[in-house]
Amino acid sequence: MTDRNDHDALPQASVVRKKRTRISVVWIIPILAAVVAVGIAIQQYLSEGPTISIVFKTAVGIEAGKTFIKYKDVNIGQVTAVQLADDYSRVMVTAKIAKSAAGLMVEDAKFWVVEPRVSLSGVSGLGTLLSGNYIAFEAGKSGSSERSFTGLAVAPIITRDQLGRPFVLKAPHLGSLGIGSPVYYRRLQAGQVVGYNLSDDGNAVEIKVFVNAPYDKYVSPGTRFWNASGLDVSIGAGGVDVRTQSMAALIAGGVAFETPHFAPQAEPAAAHTEFTLYGDQLAAMAQAESVATRYVLYFKESLRGLSVGAPVTLLGLEGGSVTDVGLDLDPKTLELRGRVEVVAYPERLIASLSAAQKVANEAVATDGSRRQELIRRMIEERGLRAQLRSGSLLTGQLYVAFEYFPKAARVKVNWRGDPVELPVAPSTLPHLEQRVTSIMAKIDAMPLEAIGDELRQSMVALKRLLKDTDRAVRRIDADVTPELKKALEDFRRATVSADQMIRDTDATLLGPDAPGQQDLREALREVARAARSLRVLTDYLERHPEALVRGKN
Amino acid sequence: MSALKPVRAITAAQCGLISCETCKLLARPAHPEDPGHCPRCGGELEFRRRRSLQRTWALVIAAAVCYIPANMLPMMATTTFASSHADTIMGGVVYLFASGSWPLALIVLVASVMVPLGKLIALIYLLLSVQRGMPGACHQRARLYRMVELIGRWSMLDVFVVTFIVALVQLQPLMAVQPGPAVLFFAVVVVLTMIAAETFDPRLIWDSAANLENEDD
Repeated sequence: MTDRNDHDALPQASVVRKKRTRISVVWIIPILAAVVAVGIAIQQYLSEGPTISIVFKTAVGIEAGKTFIKYKDVNIGQVTAVQLADDYSRVMVTAKIAKSAAGLMVEDAKFWVVEPRVSLSGVSGLGTLLSGNYIAFEAGKSGSSERSFTGLAVAPIITRDQLGRPFVLKAPHLGSLGIGSPVYYRRLQAGQVVGYNLSDDGNAVEIKVFVNAPYDKYVSPGTRFWNASGLDVSIGAGGVDVRTQSMAALIAGGVAFETPHFAPQAEPAAAHTEFTLYGDQLAAMAQAESVATRYVLYFKESLRGLSVGAPVTLLGLEGGSVTDVGLDLDPKTLELRGRVEVVAYPERLIASLSAAQKVANEAVATDGSRRQELIRRMIEERGLRAQLRSGSLLTGQLYVAFEYFPKAARVKVNWRGDPVELPVAPSTLPHLEQRVTSIMAKIDAMPLEAIGDELRQSMVALKRLLKDTDRAVRRIDADVTPELKKALEDFRRATVSADQMIRDTDATLLGPDAPGQQDLREALREVARAARSLRVLTDYLERHPEALVRGKN
Repeated sequence: MSALKPVRAITAAQCGLISCETCKLLARPAHPEDPGHCPRCGGELEFRRRRSLQRTWALVIAAAVCYIPANMLPMMATTTFASSHADTIMGGVVYLFASGSWPLALIVLVASVMVPLGKLIALIYLLLSVQRGMPGACHQRARLYRMVELIGRWSMLDVFVVTFIVALVQLQPLMAVQPGPAVLFFAVVVVLTMIAAETFDPRLIWDSAANLENEDD
């Protein structure tokens, strides 16, 4: 060991008294760090929402960590894992939902993948072209929370907070309708087709439509729905009428509804009310007839062009329609007749009467026996008869017209028949077909062959004649022409001498000093003188008419 | 290794002397319990850094606590016009490795995960060994300490990179990068470990060796 005295020469350190604490203040640092870390952990834990799983058929465009779950375009969660389900048939998507949206995860919540979709009725999800597909969410109404869901294949069309009412339409076939097809009210888009399925018995299609508020209040039990798909072109006396609801409906199909004016005023229809879907607007808006009487007519002429549904008119006003067209065979005589069953709607004709008469006839329309009596009188006293008429020259469509034929033979109507047979009158206006047929028959009757023969003979004769003419001309050419030439020369010579002669005549007769002229002047002067004496004579005679008897005194 | 055998030597403390840490002047302490200040440079004199072990422990524990959120929380949030996602340090490593650039992944892994972790473990090992009075491997421990001290100042690389990227990549609305909360914790870890390395008195390593020798003698 070194000698301590050696260090005495070294300077002595000064003493500064310091308060000492046993535990270093530095321990505040780890405590602070721990507090902050624990605080963050607690915050993280508290802000952590539930983890849910959604089962999809495919995971198109879904990526773990990239795909969001959006509700009303607000991110409420993020996909954390995408894996196959245990049986490899589906895809299990695990997602972490934000704490704030935890309450939305209830039993009937819906999830579906939003991807860009281009359809006839519109383009949707364009935003996903840039941002990638996302999972859309639709809240449910249930109160019990749920953590595993089944994703929808297509987006639900109606969201929970959309006001309106669903209805069911029954149609014989779906037509060109599809999910999303528009529903129109007075050509305003009022709703959409949200689904369809075959009815349980397989005989009809049930189409579910959703009519948005406020249009849903116009749907009452009397409302008629019709298929507004495509183009409705009708040609009438007023011109061509083209009806379509919209271009979208033209292509993608659509449904329209309206409440007919005759429908009773009623409260709006309840949700899920069933309606019939008519084929077109005319059928839908047709008024159901309360009184309909069926009659049968037997025609002996062709019924070609008469179809079921053809109108039955009275003085040109529609008052019924043809319900059946068929044959009637008399087993004894084997006589064939056309059988036409018609249904008449007296109310419709009453409606076309003037207001004053309407009231009086209302009773006639509804009271069967009075109506029968009226028709009996019309037939027996005034000669009311049914007749087939051509409705259109172009299509050859026939219709049944009732009119008075005063000259018609009197008939008795058997009122016990069912349906009652009404008398008919033969068609007076020949149908186009018949007319054409008769023209054809006339053409057929023409001796075309004989005419042809004669024509051919005439042609032969004409040919011969032409040949003769040709020969004659040639002979004239050969024989006559030289002589003609000579004759012409003579003629010219004669003309020249005639010319000469005329010139000489001019000189002798017309020249101022021509002797002919002198003589002529002399003679004319003589004539003038004679005329003067004659005038003197006549003057004298006028004054002295007696001179004729007595002579000049 | 023979050259690095513990040198049989007396320490200043054994002689009752004290060396100034700043100007290295050897001085007699004013009082054994309160050595006073350096007469030449005025620096506070200590036989050994005061409560070195306790302070270092506190800082190391604080750093270890902060190391957890630094790795768990997102380091950087990238928002592109299509999506937005946040990455942790390990997430970035995994992404780099998966996308094929494994050298980069290795760099990030070493610089951002292994170095801070290694520093913490090294410091804990040094503290434990000194506390338990472990005699052997003094040279290795000294080298380890020097390494920890050297590396410490380079560990802020991550924080620099993130701050640079955040400042540069602000192409609204195409792309934007936001710093995550992990950056703060990471910076705290680096700073705390640096301070801890400073607080640790390497002379303690040799003290235990010297005590052992003395006992041997």
